[in-house]
Amino acid sequence: MTGLLVLAVLATLLAGACFAVLLDRAQPALVAEFFRARVETEAPDRLNRDLAPAWYLALAAIGLSVVPFAPGLALIDSPAGIVIWGSCEALIVVTIFLHGWAPNAPFPLIGAYRYAALALPVMLPSMFVLIAAALPAESLSLVAIVDSQREIWNVIRQPLGLPLFLVVALALTLRGPMDYADGADIATGTSAEESGAARATWYLARAAMLVSVSALAATVFLGGPLGPLLPGPVWLWLKTAALMALTAWLGNHVARPPPGRMLTLLWILLLPLSFLHLAISGVLAL
Amino acid sequence: MTDPVTDPVTDLVLLLLTAFAVWTGWRVFRVDSMVRASFSLMLSFMAVGAIGLLLSAPYIGIATVFMMAVEMMVMAIFMVMFMMNPAGLNPMMMVHQHGVSIAAGLAAFLGLGTAILLSAPPSDPVPPQARVVAQLGHELLGPSMLIFETAGVTLLATMVGAVILSSRQGRHGAADEGSRPPGLTAGGAPAGRTPGEEGGPGHHHHHGGHG
Repeated sequence: MTGLLVLAVLATLLAGACFAVLLDRAQPALVAEFFRARVETEAPDRLNRDLAPAWYLALAAIGLSVVPFAPGLALIDSPAGIVIWGSCEALIVVTIFLHGWAPNAPFPLIGAYRYAALALPVMLPSMFVLIAAALPAESLSLVAIVDSQREIWNVIRQPLGLPLFLVVALALTLRGPMDYADGADIATGTSAEESGAARATWYLARAAMLVSVSALAATVFLGGPLGPLLPGPVWLWLKTAALMALTAWLGNHVARPPPGRMLTLLWILLLPLSFLHLAISGVLAL
Repeated sequence: MTDPVTDPVTDLVLLLLTAFAVWTGWRVFRVDSMVRASFSLMLSFMAVGAIGLLLSAPYIGIATVFMMAVEMMVMAIFMVMFMMNPAGLNPMMMVHQHGVSIAAGLAAFLGLGTAILLSAPPSDPVPPQARVVAQLGHELLGPSMLIFETAGVTLLATMVGAVILSSRQGRHGAADEGSRPPGLTAGGAPAGRTPGEEGGPGHHHHHGGHG
């Protein structure tokens, strides 16, 4: 059964990443990128520059492995599954920072610092939203959170949860309004000095992360593998694909405010909203 | 399932994790960069978190990874900000006060080593069906509530205080008003622009006073 779950995680990641590439209409550019020559910067941190895409990809895989593919069935079935996901989120911020810091060049460094300053406040609403989802389940385990949604999905019971988590999803996949690391305004930021296979791998890791974060959102808010007629994994895939399309659409259609204004929005609007969300969910779960 | 206390694989993993934690901890002082030092320390703590997993404390182990990743990210930003080494890639000396630090390190090592050798560590295997995360929650929000909350509120007050102290705005005007940067040479003229100069960053026209 473990082997089957490993296979399910890897296949979901691969198929989902292909779907994300199609959503972005990026396939010709991606294939061409693999054959470009590599650019060298002066005195880079080689270890982190070469390994950052691999860590990003690994964190997407670890994040997906806590997601139950059928009721009661997850590759990592931990009593603190949601905290494992939280650790992945925190390490993603570190990875993206290191990706921009390692080349030792201005634009990547600006992207790295800008992203770290904006992604750290995004971690707070993320934690509150996930803790709120754990309240009705009375457990930090994602398997229990799926079970708690048999009567009513969290997206209805906790209406603020999914919109707040979509902001987190945009930040973790570097998309649209939250793309402060790789934005076009700083010449693709942390990727500015990157070319060839490394750049293509970084993009693929972003695509894989979109799968991972959408699968988690589908599990926490849309009941994950729960649904009539079709088997559990199919429901999870359908919900994940829908959330991936929604996140990609939001990324393409919502404007990115200047970093200073976004910082104000995050601390003044999003954080109190997530407090409110947690308080309401807590009262309802009593 | 074999008894985790005498399981040789667990022992081996524990030894490897301990060695990794010590090695990355030592690297903190050898890498010559604030960013590398911060994330070496993060790796060291992550190894300790993994040891927590081996000790049947999943929540504490995983939360250690989470806390340390966020904390070291913040630390890397602040260290680089204060160290005037913008990229954190320029070589710099990471050790100072050699005599004191060697003495402190030796005293701590000998003291802790003696304590470990002289005490009898408890052998108290956790039953597999124990709900350790729920037990931890009941402990934290039950008997240990006062300690937990005191520490939390103290930390929050410290953070608010640090933000207020480092903020430029204040009740009595800007914090840097009238301040002069140090000279580039000993006793020399202040570096940067002088307050009277046109267009300087510290130059302000008179604003109406408050109340």
